[in-house]
Amino acid sequence: MTTAPRPALTEAAAAGRGKDPRPAGTGRLGRAPRPRRRGYESLSGYLFVAPAVVLFLVMGLYTVGYGFLLSFATWNGFSPSWTWVGLQNYKDLLWANPMYAPQVQKAAIHTFYVMVAVPLLTVLVSFPLAILLNSAKRFQGVLRSIYFVPYVTSGIAVFFAWTYILQPDGAVNSLLSTLGLGSLSQPQGWLGNPHTALPTMIVVTVWGAVPVSMLLYLTGLQTVDRNLLEAAQLDGAGWWRTNASVVWPLLRPITAIVVLLNLRDSLQGFQTFLVMTNGGPGDHTNVLGLEAYTLAFLKDLAPTLGLASALGWLLFAAALVIALINLRMLRSRT
Amino acid sequence: MTLSSTSPTADARTPGPRPAVPRPAEPGRLRTVLSRYGARLIIGVLLALYGVVSLYPFLWMVSAAFKNQIEVVRGGHLIPHHPTFDTLVNTWNQLHFFRYFVNSIEVTAMTVGLTLVVYAAAGYAFAVLDFPGRGALQKMFVALLFVPGITVMLPIVLLENKLSILGTHIGLVLPFVNGGAPLSILLLTGAFSAVPRELREAARVDGANEFHIFTRIYLPLAQPALITVGLLTVIPTWNEYLLTSVSLNDPSTYTLPLGLQTLASESVPHYNSLMAGALIVVVPVVLLFLSLQRYFVNGLVGAVKG
Repeated sequence: MTTAPRPALTEAAAAGRGKDPRPAGTGRLGRAPRPRRRGYESLSGYLFVAPAVVLFLVMGLYTVGYGFLLSFATWNGFSPSWTWVGLQNYKDLLWANPMYAPQVQKAAIHTFYVMVAVPLLTVLVSFPLAILLNSAKRFQGVLRSIYFVPYVTSGIAVFFAWTYILQPDGAVNSLLSTLGLGSLSQPQGWLGNPHTALPTMIVVTVWGAVPVSMLLYLTGLQTVDRNLLEAAQLDGAGWWRTNASVVWPLLRPITAIVVLLNLRDSLQGFQTFLVMTNGGPGDHTNVLGLEAYTLAFLKDLAPTLGLASALGWLLFAAALVIALINLRMLRSRT
Repeated sequence: MTLSSTSPTADARTPGPRPAVPRPAEPGRLRTVLSRYGARLIIGVLLALYGVVSLYPFLWMVSAAFKNQIEVVRGGHLIPHHPTFDTLVNTWNQLHFFRYFVNSIEVTAMTVGLTLVVYAAAGYAFAVLDFPGRGALQKMFVALLFVPGITVMLPIVLLENKLSILGTHIGLVLPFVNGGAPLSILLLTGAFSAVPRELREAARVDGANEFHIFTRIYLPLAQPALITVGLLTVIPTWNEYLLTSVSLNDPSTYTLPLGLQTLASESVPHYNSLMAGALIVVVPVVLLFLSLQRYFVNGLVGAVKG
């Protein structure tokens, strides 16, 4: 059975589907009068999902619930009990506490910039890139692999490499000098200058986000009906018009997915920031995820764990709102 | 030069005469040919340029890893004048990289193994079996996708501290597996749904039980999706730094990213050995990706359609 040739099976499946378009529901009805078998199927269903559900209950639901409760308390992680403070943590973060609120507001502004710039730039790079790659006849496979290296290597190793080339005497500055654009180079380093640090971090994030987005567009392009494109061309639409007025609207669902994924990652992700700048210089690249991380793990004995949880929940609420808006837009357009 | 109205791609893909379009006069034809080559040249240049952008930090990582201390400080040139293996060898020896390497493989292998076992079973149940509460459970796992990592990271650390598994590799594996649930379940449910139900019915008639149907029929047929899920689990697990860095204390349990962090937190970071360490981290996962990438691409296509 295991060595059964797969192509034959898929052909059989296709043939079977072709001559028997009966929906799955019919089969279920046929089974209905045999309750013993249904019970057996339910039981095996529960057995099959049990490991996943147990893991989810412990690592997912319990931790989420625990974090939610903690967001209404203050605790330093060591003292035996929590002190309940109601909504005070949320108020402190948003406006009440002069020690945290301004910092959180500033981090929120930085996060907002990232959330606007990263999805926008990612779409602007990955959509044309996918169009161009789709029209390349030779080297398409090789190029796709090369474009995927940022995704595969994404992590602390490649962020150190970025830090290295963004140094004052790093490769980016020397490349600019070689191209005769020495006036653009940053003598303090791209991450050392408060004005260039956040835009640089945005570029690095986009660089890491393009591979998956480009691949999503590429798979979308391959489902576009070629007759439609030919019809557009026969009607006199040029290369530019065809892509802008036919392909782009057709791929709007993909754009919605790309934007949603990148919004989510921009809102929650902070690993790149932690590794490359740790929020610096000053707090010019501090983002909300990094702020929550600092509150949770880098405050030693200060009772900031409740604050960290509250900030985590604010991020969760924001992510949920974004997802709902995005889904609504996706539905209304298609 | 302007891009002509005839697309280079459409022309190449639809050879043969197209009577609907009037043939242009000779000079116009020459211009079309020229601009077609021009367009292809521009496309080629742009594609190559982004290829360089994609590889740029990676190229410098390789370059620095083969430079010695003096040359890396001088900087400036990509190709080392005096390429040397000493940096790689010294970095490997200096920081117990072999130990970290083994640890990384252990954590990644356990995470991938557990992910495949647990979510293949769950995906099978969601795709094939009918039981009360199936839809609700499935939605619950998808909803997990929107819970930010940072929201649950602190409770996970506190919980594992209580269970005395904080700082162990199993303490990393369990949250990693759970974190991969939404995508894994999505992909595997899709793959199992595509298996024709007739096969299952036939096996039942032959007296096969549910476990046999799952392992003998569905798992072999879903092999490409299983490889996709495995690859999608390997890459982030291999590179994971956040939870690992707040969980592990004992250097003998460190994974490669933590070893690399140790290297970076020296008082004066030596970029040649830091990049050598980075190369050691990155190369295995790049090789794995290159050897299995067709599964990855096809798997994502499946996910988009589903």
